[in-house]
Amino acid sequence: MTISFKGTREGLLITLGEGVWHDVLNELAAQLNRPSAQSFFKGARVILETGARPIAVTELEELIALFAQHEMTLTSVMGERQTQEAFDQVQASLPPPESLTRGNADETGVPPDATTALLVHRTVRSGQVIRHAGTVVVIGDVNPGAEVIAEGDVIVWGKLRGVVHAGASGNENAIVGALVLTPTQLRIGGYIARAPDDRRSGNWVAEIARVRGEQIIVELWSA
Amino acid sequence: MGGQVVTITSGKGGVGKTTATANLGVALARRGQRVVCIDADIGLRNLDVVLGLENRIVYDLVDVIEGRAKLRQGLIKDKRLPELHLLPAAQKRDKTAVTDKQMIKLCDDLRKEFDFVLVDSPAGIEGGFKYSIAPAYQVLIVVTPEVSSVRDADRVIGLVEAQEKSSPRLIINRMRPSMVRRGEMLATSDVLEILSIELLGIVPEDEAIITSTNKGHPVALEDHSPAGAAFTRIAQRMMGEDVAFQALDESGGLLDRFSRLFRR
Ligand SMILES: Nc1ncnc2c1ncn2[C@@H]1O[C@H](COP(=O)(O)OP(=O)(O)OP(=O)(O)O)[C@@H](O)[C@H]1O
Ligand SMILES: [Mg+2]
Repeated sequence: MTISFKGTREGLLITLGEGVWHDVLNELAAQLNRPSAQSFFKGARVILETGARPIAVTELEELIALFAQHEMTLTSVMGERQTQEAFDQVQASLPPPESLTRGNADETGVPPDATTALLVHRTVRSGQVIRHAGTVVVIGDVNPGAEVIAEGDVIVWGKLRGVVHAGASGNENAIVGALVLTPTQLRIGGYIARAPDDRRSGNWVAEIARVRGEQIIVELWSA
Repeated sequence: MGGQVVTITSGKGGVGKTTATANLGVALARRGQRVVCIDADIGLRNLDVVLGLENRIVYDLVDVIEGRAKLRQGLIKDKRLPELHLLPAAQKRDKTAVTDKQMIKLCDDLRKEFDFVLVDSPAGIEGGFKYSIAPAYQVLIVVTPEVSSVRDADRVIGLVEAQEKSSPRLIINRMRPSMVRRGEMLATSDVLEILSIELLGIVPEDEAIITSTNKGHPVALEDHSPAGAAFTRIAQRMMGEDVAFQALDESGGLLDRFSRLFRR
């Protein structure tokens, strides 16, 4: 099977497999058009997992158009860097991401983005990029050469050594936390920091990075 | 049932895929396994040279796939080891000559007659890499203890993992314990820490590899060279034997811990 669907709390996870693009797209359209499935798909947020398959700009546009027909919104992409570059190019044509502000819990005490966290339960390896219109939680390492881009926070239950961008659409209240925080580059909103060279990996000291007084600071992760 | 298709790949070029394929083929055949090595590096064939079978080539992989030769005709039998066979790469074609489907079909046919089908993948992550891993049941990643090699291996592991195959296993090649001790080379633990896949074995840097490659006489044909012995131990592990990691494997206790950690 080349396409799989999985309902998750964060949204509908659609995984595209190998095969000729035209066939994959047709199969996806057929699946979405099945009468029995209409109510299931309608209005869904879509997490697109493209695996080893790079998706070109035109292909991504076809996907987004197809999703739009079903009132579905693409909120996350997990896949190859080339796919992510395509995503960057077409992003202008996407509906604006919901504003995801952190911390300002509403009356129920639940932070507004708590339900939109994307859980990634594996090692994110070199060349892979994860992008999500909310908070990203990785259970595993983020290796050198990998990238996590989130509009909310990024939490890594493991070693964070790749590139990370929290609050990617400008939210400077976003945080980055990891059990080992030695990213190649760390961004929060418009701020950029790089791990100092003397930070050797391997120290299991959970840390949090946040913006304080016009710069990114790193502090011990203690409640 | 049939045999296993094992693809040897790396991402970065020149790290020892062909050396590993030839020596694992020899070591497995010496232990009575029926083995065929496929040189999937179309256009840059050299597994035949490393195995010393260059002058026996009549047909190649593309001839077999395109039906100009029967499978039987394409296979070269190694006179030193009756169980060892080679399907050489085409020299005058390029990597578009073969598709994933054709490789899967070919390997399915070979599995019926061989215990191990070893595929020597080209470097990189393009078409040649893709058709090489398409038929694989098991993928072996060859890495040298260098940052760039580890980075490329990580990339390739990610691509293999995305394909619903069993988790790849790792061979660390050209290890130099003295350099590790001086802190001039990544240690086994550094490599495993990043790649976090099961370690299948460590092959030391060994001058015997260079002379044996030139002579077409893989080191694993004999028992005396350190690299040959390392490949033999890896072959045993591929056959499911529980072979202890050697002291040469550097970090001693730590390594034992890792191999236990990743054993399923
Ligand atoms: N353990 C070792 N000790 C010494 N030399 C080695 C060792 N392993 C490989 N080499 C040498 O490294 C060179 C490259 O090896 P090899 O051709 O096996 O790599 P490869 O990964 O197949 O390369 P390519 O990507 O070009 O196919 C050869 O000259 C080989 O003799
Ligand atoms: Mg080679």
